[in-house]
Amino acid sequence: MTTGPGRRARRRPGARHRDHLIGWLLVAPALAYFVIFLLYPALSALYYSFTDWNLRTEASWVGLANYADLLFDDVKYPHFWKSVSVTLQYTLIAVPLTLVAALAQALLLNAVRRGANLFRLLLFLPVVTAEAAVGAIWRWLYDPQYGLINTLLGLVGIPGQNWLNTPELVIPALAFIAAWQCGISMIIYLAGLKGIPGSIQEAAVIDGAGPWQRFWRVTFPMLRPTTFYLLVTGVIAALQVFGLVYVIFSGNGRSVTGGPEQSGLTYVLHLYLFAFRYDAMGAACAMSFILLVFIMIVTALQFRFVRQEAA
Amino acid sequence: MRRLSMYVTLVLLAAVSVVPFLWMLATSFKHGPDIYTKTPNLLPLDKKTGEWAATLDNYAYVLDVGGLGNAFVNSVWVCAILVPAKLLIDALAAYAFARIPFPGRDKLFVIMLGGMMVPAITLLVPRIHVTQSLGMFDSGWGLIVPNIASVLDIFLLRQFFLSLPGELEEAALIDGAGRMQIFWRIVLPLSKPVLAVVTITSFLFHWNDLVWPLLVTNDPELYTLPLALQQLVASPDGGRAYYIMAGATLAVLPVIAVLLVFQRRILQGIAFTGLKG
Repeated sequence: MTTGPGRRARRRPGARHRDHLIGWLLVAPALAYFVIFLLYPALSALYYSFTDWNLRTEASWVGLANYADLLFDDVKYPHFWKSVSVTLQYTLIAVPLTLVAALAQALLLNAVRRGANLFRLLLFLPVVTAEAAVGAIWRWLYDPQYGLINTLLGLVGIPGQNWLNTPELVIPALAFIAAWQCGISMIIYLAGLKGIPGSIQEAAVIDGAGPWQRFWRVTFPMLRPTTFYLLVTGVIAALQVFGLVYVIFSGNGRSVTGGPEQSGLTYVLHLYLFAFRYDAMGAACAMSFILLVFIMIVTALQFRFVRQEAA
Repeated sequence: MRRLSMYVTLVLLAAVSVVPFLWMLATSFKHGPDIYTKTPNLLPLDKKTGEWAATLDNYAYVLDVGGLGNAFVNSVWVCAILVPAKLLIDALAAYAFARIPFPGRDKLFVIMLGGMMVPAITLLVPRIHVTQSLGMFDSGWGLIVPNIASVLDIFLLRQFFLSLPGELEEAALIDGAGRMQIFWRIVLPLSKPVLAVVTITSFLFHWNDLVWPLLVTNDPELYTLPLALQQLVASPDGGRAYYIMAGATLAVLPVIAVLLVFQRRILQGIAFTGLKG
């Protein structure tokens, strides 16, 4: 605040001191939340990752054993690298697919005048839907016998597939759902498109650039910051995909599988199973820190890549 | 011609995003045998006669036997308490961070922002442990208290509060108004747009959230709607699409209603915040 000395002098004495008190009082609830549910859990997760622990017993210190066993002992943790590979494949397919779908939708919405608001709303619908509902709906859509996907494919003469029960098809099927939910990226792209000055496009038209040239030479380069933001956040989210897979592969009762031949065993689903099914909390915490470090490395690489390109 | 092909493409894309919902809706009103057809029916029709044959039995079943009625009430309760409480705590903190000078303020804010960098999944296991230690595991408290503030919301609100003109507050201070009076009478009324965005995105997130209720509850009496739906999918009824689709419809409809009413605010809000927790 910029208060002149004369004005400040007219406030009642002791106001500054009271401000300190009120300030701390107002942030106190949020601060308590931060310490109890963010800071303490983060530090204790780090501590427990060095221990052998289930929720019922005392944790016993084992040093780096959890990390070493996860990474190198494929007898004790046979599916660790499988879950890494599933997650990387999912990320590599789902993120680009989502961005392309979002950009295509945004370009179309930006180009049409009439009905743009309605289309935007319809395209946004899948995003606000609960992942439990999304999983339930897509299990039914992908149903091998009566699912809409196979029925529609049948109408154009393509043989139906058992999407969620064929190991090679599980990741593409999951990635398609992610692209179906590209609405947030679409909205952010649309905001980016609105931010491109019309004069630049007009100048390109005058210079005789066709639509493709305008897209590759003008629009797409100007959207680079938006694309980069969506890429970073998209990768971080894809590496943590869990709820959707959990619902899709829900079995009898609370049992959960990783899909056929563990083809849908994403990293976080695996982590969840360690923590809450196999009672291996220490290993689960170690897994979460391996993921944290991995996310930090990937993000740093992305930033570095962009800086190099800019130079 | 180009315009036409654009509209055709848009209609196709919109169909891809909307048809699953229409199919969900149609299936939820169908009698059991009528869902097993070779040609897709986007209406609840009788399989043999092709005549209109809608039923509400599936809803009656999932609401009662499937436990979704109880879960719906739980979800409403959790959101009704959690969303306003969270908004209040976040707004108070954001106001102090934006406007009230106190020692250590900016350092504290930076530290809290840093906490946002830790992925939610890293915190999950110890968060459950903390919730247990506080005696809130498998209780209504456990669904609410561990979500009662959000650093991202504090950040968004603070940004908005910083953009408000300071003169109004100064005039009020000189007139002898207290900080809380200024907060209630001046700052909050001026901040309706950002408060709406934070409220709506919080509602959407917590109404839809599956993971936290999944981890923090065991008692089916406490299940929220997404969790009850997941349990229905996982139950022996899980193969019965007419039940599952009735359940999915119950989970989705309130959200669609909110989207229709607040579409402008939501879409604007997303453009500068992304959807968050």
